[in-house]
Amino acid sequence: MKVKAIALNTFREAIRDRILYLLFFFAAAAIIFSRLLAILTVGDRVKIIKDVGLASLSLFGALMAILIGTGLVYKEIDKKTIFTVISKPIHRWQFLLGKFLGLTLTLLVMIGLMSLIFLAVVFAHTLRLEPRLLIAIVFIFIELLLITAVAILFSCFSTPILSSIFSLAFYLIGHTSWGLETLIRKLRPGPWRMLAQFLYTFLPDLENFNFRTEVVHGLTIQPKFYFYSGLYGLFYTLFILTLATIIFKKRDFV
Amino acid sequence: MKLSLSQPRLRDWSSLFLAVFLLLSSLVFMGLKVRCDQISRGRIPGSAIIYIPSGKYLKYATFGFSSVLADLIYLWAIQYYSDYSISDRFDHLEHIFSIIAELDPRYVDPYELGAIVAVYEANNLNLGLKILDLGLEKNPQEWFFPFQAGQLAQLRKNYELARIYYKKAMEIPGAPDLVKRLYAFSAFKTMDLETSLKTWLEVYETAQDDRVKKIASNHLYQVKAAIDKKVIEEAIGRFREKYGRNPYDLNQLVRAGFLKEIPKDLDGLDYLYDAQTGEVRTAQIWWKR
Repeated sequence: MKVKAIALNTFREAIRDRILYLLFFFAAAAIIFSRLLAILTVGDRVKIIKDVGLASLSLFGALMAILIGTGLVYKEIDKKTIFTVISKPIHRWQFLLGKFLGLTLTLLVMIGLMSLIFLAVVFAHTLRLEPRLLIAIVFIFIELLLITAVAILFSCFSTPILSSIFSLAFYLIGHTSWGLETLIRKLRPGPWRMLAQFLYTFLPDLENFNFRTEVVHGLTIQPKFYFYSGLYGLFYTLFILTLATIIFKKRDFV
Repeated sequence: MKLSLSQPRLRDWSSLFLAVFLLLSSLVFMGLKVRCDQISRGRIPGSAIIYIPSGKYLKYATFGFSSVLADLIYLWAIQYYSDYSISDRFDHLEHIFSIIAELDPRYVDPYELGAIVAVYEANNLNLGLKILDLGLEKNPQEWFFPFQAGQLAQLRKNYELARIYYKKAMEIPGAPDLVKRLYAFSAFKTMDLETSLKTWLEVYETAQDDRVKKIASNHLYQVKAAIDKKVIEEAIGRFREKYGRNPYDLNQLVRAGFLKEIPKDLDGLDYLYDAQTGEVRTAQIWWKR
């Protein structure tokens, strides 16, 4: 109940944030603009619409998670409202989990609305429903959950600007860490290779949630890959939230 | 009192629980990452390449980091063109290397690599030369581009093109002497013997060391022999037309008025003549002198 109350309160607070609507506006504009972009291409126009639409969902969703998530805990500390909360019989992990779930709910609503616009634009072009697109959207949402957790983690000990930069770095690392595989292949067996191997396994691999190419090109995906990717996202998010809880527990507000 | 003792202990336990959970969750997600990597995904390698805009426009989006982006695209291109599983990887070769050229026009390596990939891997000499032409266009002071183009054309035995590029390279200040030698060589291959002789003579006269002098001398021998052979064989041909047979020896050509004198090779030796076949050859092999 305590977590639910914090989550609902966070949701109410988040939907009042103007930046959310600004990002939503840009995302919707980008999705609609994809129709104009498609006119410029030679060949498959629907591909451009799907590519740009899914990219907008992912990018603006990540920006929402980062820009709102990084301020969630910091604002409470900055405005001293944290004292009121922690003086209540509530655990700090419950507070963080509530914040996380509140922002998750906000993102769910926003991604849901953006997806509706996106699917409508695709439908207007193809005159048929494409349920496979939902797979890509679901995994974009799982990716956003992880980014939300990361934003909250940095928000526990840093200012919103720094947290945003750190979270963006996490996002970029997550989408480029697969490149380490090439480096590992080039390195000779030894400590450097082991280090590279460890980093490759430990650093986030957000490409595990990227099904955009497969969905747009109609490629087959093994069902077990959905399963393992989903679990990977879940456990990485749990790891980050646990880390956030440990850091938040160590903070002295008295 | 009891409460105050139990609270810190509970806190210790919760911290320990969190630490263990942190460790476990990290082990699980690392294990899942390994598991995910084991599942092959249907990729369309390089499918996004065609969406990379021209370097001209991309440059504006780099906020002054165009060189870094050029480096990154170049590094990526090396990996991409090393992947033999991508059967259509050469389709956008020109596009990719022209992007790098626009982002960092003075970066020489990508032009060289792009041209080598085009000629050796894609078996497309014209594309390779096009990439090197672009390099020269962006760096008109670099003799290396026409030189490399000449080398690739020579490799594909297109000596006419090689000659044109070597000439271009020769005209750029700083080009090494080697370029002039290659120009003379390709002129010989295209049977422009006069130009070849003249150029080898220049090389011989301006040579700074004995090795180059010896190389030039050998080639002068070869070119002069080719010119002389041509003159003698033409005379033999005319003799054959008139008498219906080959001359018994080369002196007959002088006596019959087809030649004023029998030319000698560069070392003053007589050419060897086979009356049966009418073939003329040198007394020694040019590169073994």
